[in-house]
Amino acid sequence: MDVEAKRIMALSISKLYSLRTQRGGLRLHRSLLLSMTMRAARDIYHTAQLLRDAEEEQVVPCAPDAATEEPMEITKDSPQTLTPKEVAMKPQEPIDAVEDDKENRCASERHSRKRHCKTAIEPDFLPLKKAKMDTDEEKQHLPGEVLRTNNGNSYRQAESLTAFPANRAIVAY
Amino acid sequence: MAGAGGGGNDVQWCFSQVKGAIDDDVAEADIISTVEFNHSGELLATGDKGGRVVIFQQETENKSQPQCRSEYNVYSTFQSHEPEFDYLKSLEIEEKINKIRWLPQKNAAQFLLSTNDKTIKLWKISERDKRPEGYNLKEEDGRYRDATTITTLRVPVFRPMDLMVEASPRRVFANAHTYHINSISVNSDNETYLSADDLRINLWHLEITDRSFNIVDIKPANMEELTEVITAAEFHPHQCNTFVYSSSKGTIRLCDMRASALCDKHSKLFEEPEDPSNRSFFSEIISSISDVKFSHNGRYMMTRDYLSVKIWDINMENRPVETYQVHEYLRSKLCSLYENDCIFDKFECCWNGNDSVVMTGSYNNFFRMLDRTQRRDVTLEASRESCKPRQLLKPRRVCAGGKRKKDEISVDSLDFNKKILHTAWHPQENIIAVATTNNLYIFQEKVN
Repeated sequence: MDVEAKRIMALSISKLYSLRTQRGGLRLHRSLLLSMTMRAARDIYHTAQLLRDAEEEQVVPCAPDAATEEPMEITKDSPQTLTPKEVAMKPQEPIDAVEDDKENRCASERHSRKRHCKTAIEPDFLPLKKAKMDTDEEKQHLPGEVLRTNNGNSYRQAESLTAFPANRAIVAY
Repeated sequence: MAGAGGGGNDVQWCFSQVKGAIDDDVAEADIISTVEFNHSGELLATGDKGGRVVIFQQETENKSQPQCRSEYNVYSTFQSHEPEFDYLKSLEIEEKINKIRWLPQKNAAQFLLSTNDKTIKLWKISERDKRPEGYNLKEEDGRYRDATTITTLRVPVFRPMDLMVEASPRRVFANAHTYHINSISVNSDNETYLSADDLRINLWHLEITDRSFNIVDIKPANMEELTEVITAAEFHPHQCNTFVYSSSKGTIRLCDMRASALCDKHSKLFEEPEDPSNRSFFSEIISSISDVKFSHNGRYMMTRDYLSVKIWDINMENRPVETYQVHEYLRSKLCSLYENDCIFDKFECCWNGNDSVVMTGSYNNFFRMLDRTQRRDVTLEASRESCKPRQLLKPRRVCAGGKRKKDEISVDSLDFNKKILHTAWHPQENIIAVATTNNLYIFQEKVN
């Protein structure tokens, strides 16, 4: 089950990366679905990992029993000890890329790395391009316009007549 | 020819026409991205990835030969959208036509809305079959006449000419969407329309291009908290204050514009609880709704998710009244479909004229007709092999597992590159348009 989870997790990550270079810009719907799938797979994989780690710890105190159990544990663990490293290596590269890429760094990114199994939509080790898109959008709103910054929970003054900024995409006829 | 009465299984379907290139090497620009009949069914529009719109017109029926069903021939072709570049975001904007919607006809000209990811355009398609001749100052070829040679005055007269169909952009509705537009829908008031992207829905007036009203906004303050996006939206066919939008979480929200200016708060929420036995890594993806369509009578709406079609009564929110499996045999293949990205395919669905049958596409160029009144369904194929005029379409069967019967196809033999995402049904007759990757098939009811 966790082998499958790991495979899906790796697959989702590579798909998320390839999305960023696709023509037409970041597809929000697709990246949301990919992130959710990756998160589900990651949660399962981590849960399985934690269970395995817990089992290992229990094996050690019971020495006489371990004599018979340990060989089994070792053979089970040896293919798997590679995998946490493998997984750890993958996030390393994007993390390095992120640290070099100062433009994309933001406070929330550091927060997300500390979180474990929290409801993060974006995987922690990917640069937060979505945040960048967000700030770009905010910048484009000219002063004096109605700016929607919430989803309806607070009192909103202006009713929804929203004028949009002047053409920024070049249209050729 | 009677109206679209009779179910999909009383009706025998036969081949009528196929449009598009024959060769297997498909140019990406030729991939059909949307198909739509106009309100009378006389015109059939297709949009493609290259930003072009092709309109076919039904020829007036030949009364002396009732066997010879009226055919659709090319009426107009024009480049609707061009690729653009957003310099601020360093993003290319695709020219692919996402949706076409016809306006009801008010005068001699036809109007349609076409949209790509960011810009909606109103096109006027008009016919010209006369032209003025006999100008005083110009020759017929346009050269100016020598003024000294003019001794008399004449009134130019209109003379017949070869029919010319002109398409001209009358309005351009731009720069209102940060995210990618997935739907447009014309209101029954014939004055306004909505456009929906992943997070917002805007209301436009057809005459006003420099502003729009934002009527739905589901963008969270913190994008990290984003859990669902808007996948489709449509106005009610008769109630100009009502519209629905579907989400990637499998919910549909019905909104009443009279309740408030901003319709973030829905009037009705349609949601079916998930079957826990079907839970998998891919449950989120396959529950995402790819299309929502009101029935012609406005009482029902149909939603399409990856594996099923659901019919909802707008008076009942807690579950659909009917559910049809489109290709349940794919449920065990979801992992492979995730690998090859097919799980993200967005299938559309459509109603027949009297709301008794619904149709949707599948893989291997199969499409499904689901008869609501008789509770039966049939799988048909759009294939070059069944292209003889008036050739009857044979029902196809997919073998999910175990022993494959004679005429069945096994799931593993299905061609997942051959997908039917876009279909349309004539509003009055049993004529359907089915788009494969780059071909448009037209099928008609077999007339004896």
